[in-house]
Amino acid sequence: MARTALRPRRDRVGSITSGALAWIYCALLVVPLYYFVVSSFKDNEQIFESPLALPGTWDLSNFGTAIDQAELVLAVANSVITTVAALVLTLLLALPASFALARSNGRLGRFVENVFALGFLIPSFAALFPTFLLAASLGLFHSRTFVVFLLPATALPLSIVILTSFMRAIPRELEEAASMDGASALQVLRQVYLPICVPGIATVLLLNFLSFWNAYLYPLILIGPDTAQRTIQVALPTLKVDAGTDYGVLMAGTLFTLLPVYLVYTVLQRQMQRALISGAVKG
Amino acid sequence: MRAGLRKGSTVTALTDVASSAATTPEPSPPPARGARTPLRERFPGFALPALVWYAVFMIGPVVAMVVIGFLSWPGMLVEPGFAGLSNFGRVLADEKFWAAAGNSAVQIVVGLPVMIVLAFLLAFYVVQKPRGHRVMRYLLFIPALISAPATAMVFYAILNPDGLLNGVLRPFGLDGTAWLANPSTALGAIIAVELWSGIGYSAVLIAARLDGVAPEIVQAARIDGAGDWRIAWGMYWPIARDFIGVVTMLQFLSMLFNSAQTVLLLTQGGPGTSTTTLSYLVYRKAFVETDLGYSQAVGLILFVLGLLGMGAIRRVLRASH
Repeated sequence: MARTALRPRRDRVGSITSGALAWIYCALLVVPLYYFVVSSFKDNEQIFESPLALPGTWDLSNFGTAIDQAELVLAVANSVITTVAALVLTLLLALPASFALARSNGRLGRFVENVFALGFLIPSFAALFPTFLLAASLGLFHSRTFVVFLLPATALPLSIVILTSFMRAIPRELEEAASMDGASALQVLRQVYLPICVPGIATVLLLNFLSFWNAYLYPLILIGPDTAQRTIQVALPTLKVDAGTDYGVLMAGTLFTLLPVYLVYTVLQRQMQRALISGAVKG
Repeated sequence: MRAGLRKGSTVTALTDVASSAATTPEPSPPPARGARTPLRERFPGFALPALVWYAVFMIGPVVAMVVIGFLSWPGMLVEPGFAGLSNFGRVLADEKFWAAAGNSAVQIVVGLPVMIVLAFLLAFYVVQKPRGHRVMRYLLFIPALISAPATAMVFYAILNPDGLLNGVLRPFGLDGTAWLANPSTALGAIIAVELWSGIGYSAVLIAARLDGVAPEIVQAARIDGAGDWRIAWGMYWPIARDFIGVVTMLQFLSMLFNSAQTVLLLTQGGPGTSTTTLSYLVYRKAFVETDLGYSQAVGLILFVLGLLGMGAIRRVLRASH
């Protein structure tokens, strides 16, 4: 703000308001995060007495308790299995589809593309109950498998829109040269399209990683409370008990849940921001 | 779902807007091609597996939702029968439904404009590249990464009677309350949680659009003596208006449909019906009370409200140029 004050032409009131707003909001973002990180090293008494003080000791026992109590290691393993399997399935479905849509000129291709584009309008959540019936009728109720099948379907519209727009940008001549050499469609996809689409694939993977890892209601309803199958997002809230929640343990569990996403964000910050932005814009 | 949702449906957006905003040029009309690949050109066969998958797992359940809305189905083990419009009659005569509709309306009428206006001001500030704007962009993204359960757990700890908020108020001699258990603050608390996580992400999206505004125009306006406020609302807003419309729709859908998660995790719709939103009502009627026809009838109403709301947002924030 000191800097803005030096600029004579700026409407100071305006810039101070939006600047103050911005930093207040940032403080509101940081303080809860700080609070929950320090709380995960304290017991209830310390949390209630001095919520913002640094913990006296960096005691990891809350983490141990949280991990034991909610079987978080198992839950993380389940989340990893579900997320990775769903990501692979998403690519297996979306890549050939985008390839076909990018190359088709006919009315049918346009129609199929519109079907997927309309998917943005389907609030799949409203249909949670029929989805649950579907799981039951396939005999896949209370299993990770159904969620692995379902999540790619929720991700297909956006994935296909992003990948199709990438593949459209690939010059036809490249493909024609390959076809001339007798390559089949599948070979063209693998050897010509895939290498060029790597940034698009990365975007799709990052976006869907976030949405699959963070999915809550579908796993809650479809996988249920079975500790052998449930994902981390379903396991975490079980640390909250109506009478006498141990907040230190709850916050430790929350921190544990966030670590994988946070690690990915720190390593791939740029790519992830770009992915999230392009995801919304393309959508 | 929000991050799951959120991002799953964060990602929800609009076709028509998307096509108008699409950056990729339409493919040029095909040159006359040999008869070698005609079928492949006309029929996108490789899209078939994805299409079938999509039809089974997404379109199927939505169609089923419509059908179940017209069935009398009072419990999972009961044989459903045709009910005509009676579910809708029951829904519309139910006080709970109107309470939920009122809560959803407050949530959207109050929460959405606040979110979008604050996000726009934040984006405007960040785009000016003030000191620390990089840190700010980094921070603004954080809520978008955190899942609904993790966000809810953090706020559960903050808003409980012995939590951070009351702890901060105490030294000022202010008595806090059990924010989530007090009927007069519970809905506000839910909206606050949604604002907390939604403003930053919206701001980042809007900033991405504002970054594209040519600095020369802004420079020229400044030389003419325009202040920040006028530059923000007089220049940036009209330029980014259609895009802000897209972000608004995104957040609208997320509030309307995904609030069920936050409500389920924090208040279960209570105390009384003070935080029961329409989407939570759909969940509750289906999975707690197993009044399936009722639930899906509300689901259908919600679906239609979603479409109407998006139409309205589009009308209000249509590109002005």
